[in-house]
Amino acid sequence: MTIVISALQYLGYVLIFPGFLFCFLAGMLLCGIDRKLVAKMQKRVGPPVLQPFYDFFKLCGKETIVPASASKTTFLMAPLVGLAALVVIQLFIPVFSFSAFSGMADVIVILYLLLIPAMSVILGGAASGSPYAGVGLSREMVTIISCELPLVLVLLAVAKTVGSALGTGLCFSLSDIAAYQAMHGSLITKISMLPAAVAMLLIIPGETGNHPFDAAEAETEICEGLLAEYSGAPLGVYKLSHAIKMLTLTSLFVALFLGGLGTGFVALDGIILFLLCVVLTAVSISFVHAITARLKIEQIFKFYWTLVSGLALISLVLAWYGL
Amino acid sequence: MFKKLIQESMGKSPWLFHINAGSCNGCDIELVSVLTPRYDAERLGFKLAGSPRHADIVVVTGPVTKQSLPRVLRAISQVPEPRCIVTMGSCPQSGNVFRGSYSVAGPLSKYVHVDVDVAGCAPKPEAVIDGLALATQILKEKRGQMK
Amino acid sequence: MSPVINALSYQHFPIYAIMVLFLGAFLIAVFGRNRTARNVLALLSITASLAFILALIRPVMLGGEIIAYWLGGRVPAGGYAIGIALEVDALSLFFALIVAVAVFVSGVYSIQYMRHDDNEREYYTLFLMLAGGVMGLVLSGDLFNMFIMVEVLTFAAVALTAFRNTATGALEAAFKYLVVGCIGSTCILVGTAMLYAQAHTLNLAQLAQLLPGNLNTATKVAFALLFVGFGTKAFIVPFHPLAADAHGAAPASISVMISGVLTKSGIYGIIRLTYFLFQTMNLGTMQFLLVFVGSLSMFICVTMALAQHDFKRLLAFHSISQIGYVLTAVGLCTALGVSAGLYHAMNHTLFKGLLFLAAGAVLHETGTTDLGKLGGLSKKMPHTTVLFLIGAFSISGIPPFNGFASKWMVYQATYQKAVESGNIGFLLVTIIALVTSVLTLASFVKVSQSVFFGQLPKELEHVKEVSFGMRLAMGIFALLCILTGLFPGLVTSYITEPAARAVFSVAQYISAMGFDASGVAAESVVSFAHVGVWEPISWLLILCIALLAITIVAVASKYDNVSQRSGEAVDTKYELFYGGEAQEFSQVGGGDLFWGFKHNWRGYFDFMYRLHSGVVNDYALWAVVDLALVMLFSLIVL
Repeated sequence: MTIVISALQYLGYVLIFPGFLFCFLAGMLLCGIDRKLVAKMQKRVGPPVLQPFYDFFKLCGKETIVPASASKTTFLMAPLVGLAALVVIQLFIPVFSFSAFSGMADVIVILYLLLIPAMSVILGGAASGSPYAGVGLSREMVTIISCELPLVLVLLAVAKTVGSALGTGLCFSLSDIAAYQAMHGSLITKISMLPAAVAMLLIIPGETGNHPFDAAEAETEICEGLLAEYSGAPLGVYKLSHAIKMLTLTSLFVALFLGGLGTGFVALDGIILFLLCVVLTAVSISFVHAITARLKIEQIFKFYWTLVSGLALISLVLAWYGL
Repeated sequence: MFKKLIQESMGKSPWLFHINAGSCNGCDIELVSVLTPRYDAERLGFKLAGSPRHADIVVVTGPVTKQSLPRVLRAISQVPEPRCIVTMGSCPQSGNVFRGSYSVAGPLSKYVHVDVDVAGCAPKPEAVIDGLALATQILKEKRGQMK
Repeated sequence: MSPVINALSYQHFPIYAIMVLFLGAFLIAVFGRNRTARNVLALLSITASLAFILALIRPVMLGGEIIAYWLGGRVPAGGYAIGIALEVDALSLFFALIVAVAVFVSGVYSIQYMRHDDNEREYYTLFLMLAGGVMGLVLSGDLFNMFIMVEVLTFAAVALTAFRNTATGALEAAFKYLVVGCIGSTCILVGTAMLYAQAHTLNLAQLAQLLPGNLNTATKVAFALLFVGFGTKAFIVPFHPLAADAHGAAPASISVMISGVLTKSGIYGIIRLTYFLFQTMNLGTMQFLLVFVGSLSMFICVTMALAQHDFKRLLAFHSISQIGYVLTAVGLCTALGVSAGLYHAMNHTLFKGLLFLAAGAVLHETGTTDLGKLGGLSKKMPHTTVLFLIGAFSISGIPPFNGFASKWMVYQATYQKAVESGNIGFLLVTIIALVTSVLTLASFVKVSQSVFFGQLPKELEHVKEVSFGMRLAMGIFALLCILTGLFPGLVTSYITEPAARAVFSVAQYISAMGFDASGVAAESVVSFAHVGVWEPISWLLILCIALLAITIVAVASKYDNVSQRSGEAVDTKYELFYGGEAQEFSQVGGGDLFWGFKHNWRGYFDFMYRLHSGVVNDYALWAVVDLALVMLFSLIVL
């Protein structure tokens, strides 16, 4: 009987909170708030906050055309696999003191799991056979390479700080990082973690592929790049994945730097997490979107491997020598 | 169960694809300015898409020249259903001053079914928004009639 | 009665495993004109070898026994070992297992793959000699025997590299391999001779008893010679350009052998040299040597691979990059490190073998491996595409395949070492390893787009799927990749951990041969408590549930009710979007990809391009310079 109950409980985690339903609602709301904020910063009214929901359902109502030169199975399955992988990543990130499955995965695993949605977009685009998709996947891959080094440095800096406090050397487990912050206060209050936090804020738009790092799906240059041949429901799933990725990365930031005791009530913790994600989206995604022009792909690479990596490296060195 | 929701959403999130069929660019500039902060068509959900596969409404400007005709038709055929074709300006509607020229292939309605004509040379942005809103209504009806 | 039982006792299995391969080679040389006889003999010998090695797992790996076997019954006389010995401990058996599996799959693949070549009799003879040589190397307990086997396998490999001698560059590649391979073999010979002159014995166990603590200049120079010699076999920096040439020119089944088996023999030699013969791995500077060379190999080879435009050369550079991972992990001298290194060595044979076989399948069907000329093959070769993608995901380290499991352990090992030693250098190694991993992924995205996805050129319209035999071979490797990825706990406890323990049990190695091990420095207390083995089953279960839920929702809302072109009617609706233009052939692949990355690194790539001149004299010079540097290093440090 208890097995049935815990199986149902885990199924609830996967499907409702912090799984599929939470990701869907929260991710789309974040996306809508982002568009609204950008519009306000550009002194216009902007679309309603629920606009991404309208976009998604509209796309579900469109006809899906599979181009003749595409392989149908990959074309249709790739978006679903990417979505499933993103939901799984979200399950591994603790919500303050509540962790659904986060004892199971550490940050290195999440680092690798984040590659799966990116691979699903790349393979979906490659499967369509369009030359725009070819250029798009090349740029997407270079963007991923660019974001990987600073992300690794940030994670190592956090791991060393928490690990030296706990005495285990390097601590990659997210639940341990959450427990540490519950006891000693959020990591962002440490001066040595500030450069890493700034670096992570800059990594977020790069990982999600938001402006100004969206060379991979530049509408005006390469006709939407990887998604050029997608239409209808698969396209809707990709847009949904994009929105959920925003949620995942901002909640990862919260888990790493803004963790703490929380209120103890899961529902309230979820709402606080969402509000923090909104603030982070405003700062790292909307603000940067509104004030910049699109960077070229080699500029993206140089930016991440010099400036952002430099910031993260400062934090890592400070953490290593115990400052 | 979701049919009503989908139909409602179809009217709230129309994505545009713009084709220049030999236009003098006046209407194109007016279309882009409709999407800018002063007139802000994005509050109605309009977005410029980069690929016809992402589009719902196709906006065609310019008298359809003989050279651009096959390309226009090919791009329009690649737009998934339900779709709505809007001609902007009087050039695609009647040819305007270019009517009868050796290089103009005639009004667009000779080749595809046009849903909305926005007249003017160039039409005012308010007229463009009006025409696009009407196209959105037609789009909703088409979605309702689909299987 | 008792001689029969005696002959069947598992004590004889190591020598049987070696002899059955050599016997197969000689029999094929005699009877090989007939195709059936040839195939049957080859399959029999490789299956028999695999069976003997598998039968040894229980006593040696699970039972912890060390088989000491004196050929011809020549036990030591007067305290000195005169006869040739085979000593099989868990480490030897681990490598023998890798070799046997790779040989088996490669042999099955060769039957269909080499069907159209002439001189198949010579091919199988050389192939079985190569297999026998490597098997002899890893099972041997005698240093000069190891040298003999190294010579056998070098010459067999060189001959097989040049096998398709009408192809452009094959003879040249074989010549380069011959030159530097001979430099390596000579180094091993001179090193062996110097050790013999100092210790008056060639037996590994006895050398392990006599050498440590008694190092003089001659033995230190011998160390450098042996290290460089085995390094040549493993193709680590600076011998990596040869790997590209050799793999590129050799037939695919031989590339599997070179990358999966020969390189491992070099690693095996280095492990025996540093952990057993000289027992100097507890010195920080020795660890630095291995970790430094390993990290250099990792990074240089993966960046070189990104610039390649030939499928097999690209795979060859990746091969050396992964060997860099193995060497780095082994050089850490911790239980976790050695365990991770050995696990990665096994996984590397599996996924690299799979990738080379897929490349061979493409070459077999299309006749080219130039990335700029291929494209869109997933329509014509769907099974090969899926198998290739499994290999590509494995090498990039994407969960749940086996590459991730071993790479995760390597990272754990490097940062555990960083914390224990307080040295920030090991943290740098972790960072390099992680960045190399994502660069590997980039490289395989490039290959996927250039070869399997994208658009099909007109010339390749006739291509069809490869024969069942080749797909079976690839399928075996793919299945093993998935299994070793899904059950890392089982693999670690039954296969890699006994081997890793054997690396640290030098005293048992010596005493199994009957020599006195009391002088051996007490085993450093090496804790085998792992930080935690990655448990993919639970994660995979969650992913499958999520995927199932999403698929159910999708199918219920008629997600797959798509409109697709029916028949051959031309309908512009289903053509690709070209801005309104008619669809024409424009494949984006090969050198067109990753412009941003290559542009930013153009200084580095220019430098590398000038360095890798392709002239064998340069490579020989590098070998000599490397030897001089390592000699200097060992004279100062040891």
